[in-house]
Amino acid sequence: MYLDALKNEIEMYADYGIKEEVETIYFGGGTPSLLKSQSIVDILHDLKKTFSIRADAEITIEVNPGTVKEEKLRSYREAGINRISIGVQSFDDGDLKFLTRIHSVEQAIQTIQIARSCGFENLSLDMIYALPSQSLVTWQKNLDRAISFNPEHISAYGLTIEDETPLGRLVKQNEIIPVQLDNEAAMYELTMECLQKRGYEHYEVSNFSKPGFKSKHNCNYWNHSNYLGLGPSAHSFWGNKRWWNHANIAIYCKMLQSDSFPIAGSEVLGNEQLLEEAIMLGLRMGEIDFRRVELRFGGDYYKETEPILQNLVSSRLITLENHVLKLTDKGFLLCDEIAKRLIAKVTP
Amino acid sequence: MEHIRNFCIIAHIDHGKSTIADRLLERTGTLTEREMKFNQVLDDMELEQERGITIKLHAIQMKYKAKDNKNYTLNLIDTPGHVDFSYEVSRSLAACEGAILVVDASQGVEAQTISNLYLAIDAGLEIIPVVNKIDLPSAMVEQVKHQIMDLIGCKEEDIILTSAKMKIGVDEILEAVVKRISPPAGNPDAPLKALIFDSIFDGYRGSVVYIRVFQGTLKEKDRIKFFATDKLFDAEEVGILEMQRMRTKELSAGDVGYLIPGAKELHDTKVGDTITNADNPAEGPLPGYKEAKPMVFAGLYPVNADNFAELRDSLEKLRMNDASLIFEPESSVALGFGFRAGFLGLLHMEIVQERLEREYEQELITTVPNVEYRVLKRDTEIVLVDNPAFMPSLGDIEHVEEPFIKAQIITPTEYIGNIMKLCTDRRGVYKNTTYLDPTRADLRYELPLSEIIFDFYDKLKSTSRGYASLDYEFLEYRESDLVKLDILLNGESVDALSTIVHRDKAFEWGKKLCAKLRKLIPRQMFEVVIQAAIGSKVIARDTISAMRKNVIAKCYGGDITRKRKLLEKQKEGKRRMKQVGRVEIPQEAFLAVLSMKE
Repeated sequence: MYLDALKNEIEMYADYGIKEEVETIYFGGGTPSLLKSQSIVDILHDLKKTFSIRADAEITIEVNPGTVKEEKLRSYREAGINRISIGVQSFDDGDLKFLTRIHSVEQAIQTIQIARSCGFENLSLDMIYALPSQSLVTWQKNLDRAISFNPEHISAYGLTIEDETPLGRLVKQNEIIPVQLDNEAAMYELTMECLQKRGYEHYEVSNFSKPGFKSKHNCNYWNHSNYLGLGPSAHSFWGNKRWWNHANIAIYCKMLQSDSFPIAGSEVLGNEQLLEEAIMLGLRMGEIDFRRVELRFGGDYYKETEPILQNLVSSRLITLENHVLKLTDKGFLLCDEIAKRLIAKVTP
Repeated sequence: MEHIRNFCIIAHIDHGKSTIADRLLERTGTLTEREMKFNQVLDDMELEQERGITIKLHAIQMKYKAKDNKNYTLNLIDTPGHVDFSYEVSRSLAACEGAILVVDASQGVEAQTISNLYLAIDAGLEIIPVVNKIDLPSAMVEQVKHQIMDLIGCKEEDIILTSAKMKIGVDEILEAVVKRISPPAGNPDAPLKALIFDSIFDGYRGSVVYIRVFQGTLKEKDRIKFFATDKLFDAEEVGILEMQRMRTKELSAGDVGYLIPGAKELHDTKVGDTITNADNPAEGPLPGYKEAKPMVFAGLYPVNADNFAELRDSLEKLRMNDASLIFEPESSVALGFGFRAGFLGLLHMEIVQERLEREYEQELITTVPNVEYRVLKRDTEIVLVDNPAFMPSLGDIEHVEEPFIKAQIITPTEYIGNIMKLCTDRRGVYKNTTYLDPTRADLRYELPLSEIIFDFYDKLKSTSRGYASLDYEFLEYRESDLVKLDILLNGESVDALSTIVHRDKAFEWGKKLCAKLRKLIPRQMFEVVIQAAIGSKVIARDTISAMRKNVIAKCYGGDITRKRKLLEKQKEGKRRMKQVGRVEIPQEAFLAVLSMKE
């Protein structure tokens, strides 16, 4: 039933005559690899009927180890998927248990190897640090292990503990002692240093890639490019408008059954909000070219923020050259703090 | 005039002054039980209700048929019960011929009982002693009676026992008022002399003054003159004060009532001033007028710099009905543009602050309050310093003088030791101790005002388990070894955090202040060094280490809106921060000194 609804959602866009060529497709959020491979093939087929998709489009699927066998990955490849993002998380079974993952280290390794043997030449591994039992040494080992598979892309996320989650409750009850902020910072620094040394470019807070292998799809989020999100809870952005689908799958299906878009909410972004996002997202990508920001939004933002920028330079958080701000590793650590200040300055 | 009695009720805070007033109003039919929305009708200001004290003065007229079958007009004049307002109390007392002295049977004589009593005796008033709350299980009626007899030298039978709550003794009070207090004297045909004992501001009519006529007659349309301000007005409206203003068009010698002179500001109609007839003036004013003098000063700054003009308007409006408030613009490197305001005392400051916030919806940063110093410079110039930031530099100062007060502390004898220690810590000079009875002592100290405007009162209360009471009055300026203590953040001085302290206390003070600021200033993107310095000499130091990490891990398509909104919210917080050099300082830090625990 869900797949019918999704099919319907795709087809509803046909009437809107979207002319733009699709550059990227991303199957993600949840575990799309749980679906039968035929379903993925069908969805891709529907997409091709409705949209014009570039021959060299980046088509990614998120895969969790333990949910795929060789056969499935092979059929993904045949259907045109050319990038695989594997949710490895850790090469330590204890860590995986803590994260309540269903897979083992063994299975993760197998998944990587199968993906390679099926001909995937663009592989991304998701890794996680700042786990309560982790030390700088064990994280370093984990990273080395990930690098040893020579993936084209690595996403390394610091564990975020939200209050209203099982993990958050355990922390509240003192069952788990989270990693000290200073240690977490040290692990992040280690990540940046280690991956850059091994030839990975740090192109977003948590994302690293070999040259030419940035996630084009994710970069589109961060560059305010247009994208359509399909499925429950999916977010879309077009021009200056953002909207998102109902998260509840029953509501999502029901609305599509009666041929209405399953939209739960939307916002039209004013110039000010777009500017705020451009600064916030630019910083997350480690670079703000003020001439381009000024061209796009028409203000003297460089001049307005220069005193702050000079302070940041003297604190070695950024470098400045020809009106281009670049975050240093130390700057990445304080990305949100810097964003707060710049945004407070450029918008009233 | 034979049948008029003008009187007031004096008491220590919470001894039952307002409840007794209520009973008198009820018994004389001035208002019925049902009309009393609250049980303390004279306290009609929201703030007063909350604090259980009377701030603003009022007066009310009652009709009473006495046991001698004659009808009397009783004017009850209310008095404020806090030490900040002792001048106002003295002016209210001056409008009366008698005073009811109320003492709580379970508490006994307290500091304000005595200070108010002395003011009443100075004013030559007949005193009617009343022991209230005799129904309480903890009442010590006999003991309190003896305290009172020792204090005013009256006979035991002069003391009336009441329970305002239980409505016991109300008739006795009314009869005593009629029998013991003398009627007012004064010739209604002499040139007019009327005392202003209070004034309020009416948004439509301007200043409304409450007056007691001592001689002559005041009629509407009379051309009148105010002695102190030397201003001329026309008497627009004249009347008496019942539950509302009741226009009578005329007031004569002995009467208490109100006058609307058409004055736009309260400053034209000062409490304690004398009104006379401009066409037939009295030879001089009534004695006792004083200019209300601010004792405590603080900076008032808008949280948001854009609201400076709005704050100025609010202060101006507030000043229209608070003649004791003074202010002038000032600026601070740390806080931007604001005002230096002068207050009668700490309570007055708190009231102004709260009214600005509640009635005028101003968001304020109030700096640490200070007294006014007198600085004699080497070049023999004398400067008054009401803002520590403007203290002349060390090398230019010959010496500094600070205001001292005479303090009277009434306490159960077991706390004498604690209190003497507290006073010594606060640089107090011991004068003497007298005993009201074997269990209660009256301690006299001379103390620097600066030492009591912080948390002296709270300390006094906690060290005596709430039993000690305090009253004080200004004594004189005295030379002290005072220094200006500056706070530096990464080498830059924060003017709004400068304080003036005694040299002997500077080291410890500086250390504590640095430690406190370390807790109040959030981590920044760089290390912050906090220093306390006298002149160029650093006497204390602390550091706030740099913030290490603040970045969320994931921000994909579905996270962007939420993340942007979070940043928008945080940027408001950023704007409220004040900046010195690169260091951002939250508002609480400017009150760090006030929240320092000893």
